[in-house]
Amino acid sequence: MPFDPTDITLSIVKIAIVLGALLNVTPIMVWVERRGSALIQDRPGPNRVGPFGLLQSFADALKFILKEDIVPQTANKFLYTIAPAIGLLPALTTIAVVPWGREFVLHDIHFFGRTFFTTARLFNPIVADLNVGLLVVFALASLSVYGIVVAGWSSNNKYSLFGGIRASAQMISYELALTLAAVSALLAAGSLRLTDVVWRQTGYFVLFDTIKIPAWNCFSPAMWLSMIIFFVSGFAETNRLPFDFAEAEAELVAGYHTEYSSMKFALFFMGEYMAMTTMSALVTTLFLGGWDIPWYNEPATFVGFLLSALAFVVKVSALLFVFVWVRWTIPRLKYDILMRLGWKVFLPLAVLNIVFVAFFILKGWI
Amino acid sequence: MIPTHYFLILSAILFAIGVCGVLTRRNGITIFMSIELMVNAVNLTFLAYARQFHQLHGLIFVFFVMAIAAAEAAVGLAIFISLFHHRETIDVDEANLMHW
Amino acid sequence: MFEYAVFFFFAAVAVIFALVVVLHRNPVVGALSLVVSFFALAVMYVLLDAPFLAALQVIVYAGAIMVLFLFVIMLLNLQHMSEPATRPIQQFLGYTTSAAFGIGLVYYLLKYAVFTALPSGPFHTEASAIGVALFESYVFPFEMVSILLLAAIVGALLLSARSVAPREVAP
Repeated sequence: MPFDPTDITLSIVKIAIVLGALLNVTPIMVWVERRGSALIQDRPGPNRVGPFGLLQSFADALKFILKEDIVPQTANKFLYTIAPAIGLLPALTTIAVVPWGREFVLHDIHFFGRTFFTTARLFNPIVADLNVGLLVVFALASLSVYGIVVAGWSSNNKYSLFGGIRASAQMISYELALTLAAVSALLAAGSLRLTDVVWRQTGYFVLFDTIKIPAWNCFSPAMWLSMIIFFVSGFAETNRLPFDFAEAEAELVAGYHTEYSSMKFALFFMGEYMAMTTMSALVTTLFLGGWDIPWYNEPATFVGFLLSALAFVVKVSALLFVFVWVRWTIPRLKYDILMRLGWKVFLPLAVLNIVFVAFFILKGWI
Repeated sequence: MIPTHYFLILSAILFAIGVCGVLTRRNGITIFMSIELMVNAVNLTFLAYARQFHQLHGLIFVFFVMAIAAAEAAVGLAIFISLFHHRETIDVDEANLMHW
Repeated sequence: MFEYAVFFFFAAVAVIFALVVVLHRNPVVGALSLVVSFFALAVMYVLLDAPFLAALQVIVYAGAIMVLFLFVIMLLNLQHMSEPATRPIQQFLGYTTSAAFGIGLVYYLLKYAVFTALPSGPFHTEASAIGVALFESYVFPFEMVSILLLAAIVGALLLSARSVAPREVAP
């Protein structure tokens, strides 16, 4: 048999872990969003269902499942039904190329009292360690436009169509700034492979021969601008405030998901939170050092892997909280200002930043 | 390793389907999409031959073909939009002012 | 063996959705089927040891050009316009010509283009190899393509702008 059964089993385990984590982010984020927004707005937030309102997500899920599913009569039924699924696809698949822990040497596996001995192999906690990982991320991110366009068009409703077209115009504009800002992290690493990008950030910058700063890309002055551009474009890509003109509550009714109810709407909701998580994971990998724990050399053992995975989760969670924080703090940008920002500010700045970073690399300062 | 002629035959079939679309349809957008299909079939041929002879030139050519096809799609759709505004129809047989 | 299964599945997907593009009346359905077909072609590119170009295919074709097509179709509301049916003589000639062309092409490929062995050794198609080739041997076409894209942007903007009549100022 050309395939090694242990490798296949380990891959399935990795996929299960990543998918399980991503699919379970939504209930947690719903709670964080509602309690976090309540904290920022100085009100209690949901606190009836369970202690601190922790079971609110279950109540919401139950509501969505039991609601009546209304399909508009003149909608294109096939496209209307698969649009939420198309919206979910990019978020679910992009996380496959993000490394979420340190690779370690796996000797034998103890499972419910039985021990499976394998030859010592290197377990790389990334579902697909592709040579062109970063490009695949951009490829899949560019497919996220289709969920919105198809949802907006197939609802057969002018408000949905306008919301869909505006949202997709915004997304393709900010994709350019996103890609060019990520190129600076790519230049520093010298490789498109995301594991290489993280390994490059595990060293230290030594200041004045005594102070050791972890060599994360966010601590290097040339990359500050690209990190800001990438993160803000991430807001635009996931249609979160201040760029959520697509949903635009109180303006376009609900934008491209006006005509959606119950589970299909819940799928859009989930897709948005999963895209947020994927974007946070990308920012962490490219700029915040991925799974690297500062000032600590993780050993290539299972414990080292667990600590690095925990560091990754902490960083992603911090960024997800920043997403929630920004949503309830900053008002929505007007559409023409939004487009102007994307094309006339971010794109030139991202291009100039590439030149800047290339100069730094040439001088050896990075 | 899949033999190269499998890819060449797939490319030939896609090209023939594109030709069928251009010859048979009267909708301007569908004709454009058939042209894009033909360009992609040619891209596949270039890559099949590049792998057969281990030459990087095939890949570089496909890179340029993609860039040029993007430019062509943009300009072609702009021409189509201005034709549509002028004649209010998508039927390319109506663009016959120079017909004898 | 696994590669053959992947090849035949995605080849079938590419051909079937290409047929949908060419035969279906509604251009929106055609555009979305073309996206699926392009995605299947990207998988073919991966099978041909060119993952960089597969990612580029998805980014450029499926992610940008087809979005442009969909915008044009949706904003001009083209899906409600029905094209008149092609005249039967044109249909007959079109189908027979393209079928004859396709069959002839496949026949001659099978006769003359069956290669037996691939050269040994790995085929270096990483981004670094492509980048080196682009900036060393092909630097002139590379720069010219950027000017061509600028010309395309300016041309598209000029062609699709409606002339706006100056507004009448109320007396």
